Amino acid sequence: MTALRLDNVSHTFGGRLALDRLTLTVRPGQVTALIGLNGAGKTTALRALAGRLRPTDGEVAILGHNPADLPFGVAARFGHVVDAPLVYPELTVTENLRCAARLHGKSRHMAIPAASAAVGRMGLEPWRHARARTLSMGNRQRLGIACATLHQPSALILDEPTSALDPQGVVLVRGLVRGLADAGAAVLVSSHHLDEVSRIADEIVVLHAGRDVGRLEPGGSDLEQRFFAMVLDADTRAAADAHAETPGGRS
Amino acid sequence: MTALAPLGAAFSVEALKLRRSVVARLATLLLVVLVPLGSVGVVALARSPRAVGPTAAKLADYATGDLAATHLLACAQILSVATLVAGGFYVAWSFGRELESGTAGALFGLAVPRGTIALAKCLVALAWITVCVVVTVAVTVVASAVVTAGSGASFDGAWAGARTALVAGLLGGGLALPFAWLATVTRSQLGTVGGLVGMVALTQIVVLLGGGSWFPYAAPSLWTGLGGPTAAAAVGLPHLLLAAAVAPVATAAVVQTWRRLTNV
Repeated sequence: MTALRLDNVSHTFGGRLALDRLTLTVRPGQVTALIGLNGAGKTTALRALAGRLRPTDGEVAILGHNPADLPFGVAARFGHVVDAPLVYPELTVTENLRCAARLHGKSRHMAIPAASAAVGRMGLEPWRHARARTLSMGNRQRLGIACATLHQPSALILDEPTSALDPQGVVLVRGLVRGLADAGAAVLVSSHHLDEVSRIADEIVVLHAGRDVGRLEPGGSDLEQRFFAMVLDADTRAAADAHAETPGGRS
Repeated sequence: MTALAPLGAAFSVEALKLRRSVVARLATLLLVVLVPLGSVGVVALARSPRAVGPTAAKLADYATGDLAATHLLACAQILSVATLVAGGFYVAWSFGRELESGTAGALFGLAVPRGTIALAKCLVALAWITVCVVVTVAVTVVASAVVTAGSGASFDGAWAGARTALVAGLLGGGLALPFAWLATVTRSQLGTVGGLVGMVALTQIVVLLGGGSWFPYAAPSLWTGLGGPTAAAAVGLPHLLLAAAVAPVATAAVVQTWRRLTNV
């Protein structure tokens, strides 16, 4: 069964094509990484998948349901951090985590241990009682990921989860993502950090100009080289196609 | 999990955010301290020999009549506008900041649906306004009791005035909820505050043109006598019920808009 699914999804922003017939699936137990240059459509794809954007065309599903209107039992198994996390600056770290636990469907009684466990798991113990507004950017990112994962989701979407993290935070998030996937969760991660992606992903999808332009095998020291070669090849083919379609060009 | 559990969870989260909110803390302080002080103070000024010229003319309505009843009348008049403004600022923050800061996006795909979260926000705003109104009126009653005891005047008129102040304050607070919808569609806190200022100005224009009793934003103030005894007499139960209907209609509109929210 597919846990996360984008099926032939297209989306435009005011005439600009952001996603072009993108099809992507993530199975339970699998970590899929979405990589691409700025503006490639990664965040748009993740927003569509999280239900935050109704795509112009195509179908999106989380655990078999429309993400814009998930039933309680399905939503309680889903987590995401795309752009701003579920973190309020006026609340403390613990309060943010307890609020997130309640909104993920945990009872008041269950929210307390879930929040404590998340504090320990993400190394936030020294800041347990600190207001979120006083945290460093890296610790805010840790808190955001903790808020999205404290209910042990079966389907998880993370947009640039390690962008502000120190090496210790990167290792923590890597362990968290792999641990969730090993427990059966489907995880979709977008990232610019190719070496990081290479360490955690089972599959790497390259997105360019809103299109899926191919897959890269994780591992190896030449991932960056293979990525740029794929992007260049996509640009070359797109230019050739455009030339063929113009009057006077070969068809 | 029971059917009401998601609403309970959202309510407790929103209530915590309200308790930590600078906007709510400031507004609470202004309502429960400034309104009673203003109510007692304006009556004291009106009955003081120092009130002469334009000030005396402006405060003529407070210069005579039962002392305690006049305190509570002033409280009702101030509250009818103050709760609208306080509530309007609060909902502008509560709803607008989620969309401005991007946390609204994180409210998608949760076990507690967005419509339930929006409903909880409205209920928390109403509960907060209700507590503020009750405390403000109670503080005014106590302050009035102290003043009337010192002057030896009767305190009997205070209770009817307190009822008027409670109703006017609650109606004013309920009228703030359409600004939750405005904050949602404009996705801007400042834009919502601009709308609030515009509505206060529009209400003045409507009253100046002689309308008002059927205009929900004017009816509570006119009923308390802010537009004079003739305008107050023209406001009856249907007009007040129309003003009271604004809160549930606005809540339904906000919940529906949050359910259909997209491109966040």
